[in-house]
Amino acid sequence: MIVAKGLRKQFMVRGQTLVAVDRISFTVGNGEVYGLLGPNGAGKTTTLRMVMGLLEPDEGHVEIGGVRTDTDPMAIRSQLGLISTNDGVYPWLTVREMLMYFADLYAVEVPVAQIRLEELAELLNIKSFLDQRCSTLSTGQKQRVTLARGLMHDPPVMLLDEPTRGLDVVGSQTVFEFIELLKKRGKSVLLSTHRLDEAERVCDRFGLLHHGTVRYEGTLDDLRSLTGKYHLVDMFIDLIREDRQPASPSPAGA
Amino acid sequence: MQEYLSNGRLLRLCLKELRESLRDRRTIMTLIMMPILVYPLLSMAMQRLLLGAGNAPSAQLEYVIGVPDESTARVISLALRETQRAASEGVRPSIEILRPAPKDANTNPNSGPSSEVDNDGNSPGVNSVEGNSPGEKSEQKSSLENGNGINSPTVGAIRTNQQAAFSIVVPERTTVSNSLADGQLDLAIRSASFERFPLPNGVSLPVFGFEMEFRDGDPRSEMAMAEFRKAMQLINDYQSAILRGNRLPASVTLVSNAVGQRADPMASLAGVLPLVLILMTITGAVYPAIDLTAGERERGTMEAMIATPAPRFILLLSKYVAVVTVAVLTALANLFASWITLSLGGLGRALLGERGFSFWTLIQIFPLLVIFAAFFSAILLAMCSFARSFKEAQAYLIPVMLVSLAPALVTLMPNVEFSTLLGIVPLVNILLLSRDIMTGASTALPAFAAVLSTLLYAAAALVVASRLFGGESATSGSQESWSDLMRRPKRRFPTPDIGELAIYLALLFPVFFVTTNLAGQWVLSIEQKLLVNALLLFGLFLLAPFFFAIYRRMELKQTFLLRLDGAESPNGLPRPVRLIGVLAASCLMAAGLWIVAYETLKLLSDVGFGTIDLQKTAALEDAKSRFREVPFWLIFVTSALIPSICEEFFFRGFVLSAFRSRLHPIRAVIYSALLFGVFHVVNGYVLSIERFAPTAILGMALGFLAIRTGSLWPGILLHAIHNGLLFWLTRFNQSELAEWLGSNSKHFPTAWILASVGSIAIGIVVLYFSTLKRSDEVSP
Repeated sequence: MIVAKGLRKQFMVRGQTLVAVDRISFTVGNGEVYGLLGPNGAGKTTTLRMVMGLLEPDEGHVEIGGVRTDTDPMAIRSQLGLISTNDGVYPWLTVREMLMYFADLYAVEVPVAQIRLEELAELLNIKSFLDQRCSTLSTGQKQRVTLARGLMHDPPVMLLDEPTRGLDVVGSQTVFEFIELLKKRGKSVLLSTHRLDEAERVCDRFGLLHHGTVRYEGTLDDLRSLTGKYHLVDMFIDLIREDRQPASPSPAGA
Repeated sequence: MQEYLSNGRLLRLCLKELRESLRDRRTIMTLIMMPILVYPLLSMAMQRLLLGAGNAPSAQLEYVIGVPDESTARVISLALRETQRAASEGVRPSIEILRPAPKDANTNPNSGPSSEVDNDGNSPGVNSVEGNSPGEKSEQKSSLENGNGINSPTVGAIRTNQQAAFSIVVPERTTVSNSLADGQLDLAIRSASFERFPLPNGVSLPVFGFEMEFRDGDPRSEMAMAEFRKAMQLINDYQSAILRGNRLPASVTLVSNAVGQRADPMASLAGVLPLVLILMTITGAVYPAIDLTAGERERGTMEAMIATPAPRFILLLSKYVAVVTVAVLTALANLFASWITLSLGGLGRALLGERGFSFWTLIQIFPLLVIFAAFFSAILLAMCSFARSFKEAQAYLIPVMLVSLAPALVTLMPNVEFSTLLGIVPLVNILLLSRDIMTGASTALPAFAAVLSTLLYAAAALVVASRLFGGESATSGSQESWSDLMRRPKRRFPTPDIGELAIYLALLFPVFFVTTNLAGQWVLSIEQKLLVNALLLFGLFLLAPFFFAIYRRMELKQTFLLRLDGAESPNGLPRPVRLIGVLAASCLMAAGLWIVAYETLKLLSDVGFGTIDLQKTAALEDAKSRFREVPFWLIFVTSALIPSICEEFFFRGFVLSAFRSRLHPIRAVIYSALLFGVFHVVNGYVLSIERFAPTAILGMALGFLAIRTGSLWPGILLHAIHNGLLFWLTRFNQSELAEWLGSNSKHFPTAWILASVGSIAIGIVVLYFSTLKRSDEVSP
């Protein structure tokens, strides 16, 4: 269960204040997939980082399982799993070594980690190359290793940051199946993406981000009735058109 | 953090980093291939250099002659003018000198026309009168060539194919001999005599007598002596030519004395080897340092790693261990490669003297390289932790390497001594210490300072690295900088943490070392020395940590244990009774501890560990009687009261609180006591290793007292009484002590020792009951 309340974060960029996220609130229940959607620069990654505790919000707070993240950020982190587009692998380690390394980082005991490793290897079909160096893996194989890495400590909450960016149809399909798996296991999933078509397929609820604020929130049906558009893509095109009209003030500046 | 260190997890984390580094072919290249290539090449270059050095003419043409006064200078000028006259008359010297006319005679600034006063500022603080050697002017040269016969082969030891010029200086504030020993002069003329010897034909001949000194074994000084001798010989030859065989006393009588130890002519080259070894160690560490930090970011594994609950310090520590390991392996490979190369080629003897590069030297140098690797790896990690990519890391490192190379090159210059103060200059200290170990000339105090300061700098750099590593700046792209580290924190902290302590110690130690050293070297009266020491203690151990704590928003009462009495004791004893109990316990422990401290010192001296007697710690033998004349109240205030307050503030306040923020109290007490001992080893400008043990024992007692009572004040009382009694002992001379303690005046009588142990035991019992049930103070 993730609860974000009034998150706000601003950065100083070359002497100017840039509000990246402006009072965002949302809730993700157990077994629910929440899509944090928006174009590049909408504030998705910053929001995820605040949920993760990598960035301290200027205002607001996040609760994971009813516990505020700023009370014990380290303990909260073991409740979270993170998979991001930019995730790499250690070229000189074998897949097994890398997964066991992350189990150690999450303070998972070795016997538990070994059992989980075998289970995930079966599930994500990485068994055949467990003892191969990561540098020898194909893109698809690396991606499956990354997904396994995110589950080595079996977190109740999973954060996915643009997990399908740069993947082909097969790769994306693996991610969708992975998300289905997470849902089945009752995990709260926060998915950030700009691929709206994919989001429609896997998310239960959505938050449409634009210029650091949530413009629309709800299930697909809610959004359809709110905006009068059928597809998420059309809803976004409307948002962006608003920007181009000089009369309407920018929400970020508000 | 504890759970991360359980079940060998830290070891596994380190292994991961090591695997990553050592499986990378680029690391292996620097580790193995470089030493195999570098040393044979270096040895070849050196051999050429050494072969050349035997015949190479001295590049310097102008020699500096020092004289005690201006009248001596005038006599020398006169003699040199005689030489010029002799040269211009075309005297053929009895010792043949080969002098081809240099083509650049006019462009050479050293061979300009003679001037009476030389203001070129080459030797600041010295008056300079310049004289010239024979053959300054071109016609003189030609006449000399004619007389000489350029084809005639050179004879004897004196051989030069260059001109020589002499500038004559009168050193200020020092004697010529000292100035010569310092290397400021090439030649010292201690006395000169001049008279005119009348000849029957009415002409008078000048007669000179010189007594000179030169540095034995210093090529430049020997050359100056030889050149001067040649010049004087020319006068003799000239006059004997005039007199045509008349037997008269020689015109110039020369007495030359070799002074100083015969310096190894290759001593400066001995500095090359440590420099190469250190550079190679750096090279070994650079790639893993970048790869494990900036590389982690570039591969996209950084974010996943710092999103885990693993403490950043642990992550960085595992990387640090890996980088240090690779650096040490590189150092080891280089050490062996250089040892083999130098031993095989015989180059070791040429470079390092008769001892050569022995295996024992190798064993001594290795720990230094380990310490250096520990230091530089931490610096590298601090730099790279800030970088977002490989390229950026390299951009940061190149200036650092260049900047550190500049002082390193200074160590190659001859006559750079490893002075005490250089002991705290990072990199330079290790280089000079290695050089001195290789030439067998290391001294204890700068060596101690070099090792301790390097370790402290390493710890501080590691703390800085862990704060930068994976910081917000690195992941989010916001414009954070190094200044964030120094910024005043926004929230309050109860006590300093170990990181802040490490940074503070890295700043404190060099300042403490330099100031106590300078204070020790000043020629001051005993009273002034006592006051200066007390002031230093007050500034460095009380004021500075106090302001540091205020700046970092620490709770002062908690950090410095300023409460008179900790939490209310639930054992039912009234507060005054408890306080009296604690104070009585402090006094009882102090009454026993000073004897324990004295006996420990004596014991260490007896087994040959000590360098000085306890009674000499207060003042050295010659100052002992003067020390007894100082009023005791002054000694008590400056050596017992002020030190006890300041040291308790720092060691039982700041240091102990910092250790307790992360460690079990017993460990915290032990570490703070060890630190307390280490700081007492530097005693003014002498190193007294034997002070470590007694001081550390006292530190443990004081730490225990501070933890048990939760207050600094009982410790101050104990410390002041302890120091006061020890200094009171120095009031007595040997015979008084013998009368008082019995014939065996070196040690206390057994009864006294037993009484002191009993006193400590009773003190502990009283303390225990006075602070009973204060379990909150002793539990972790």
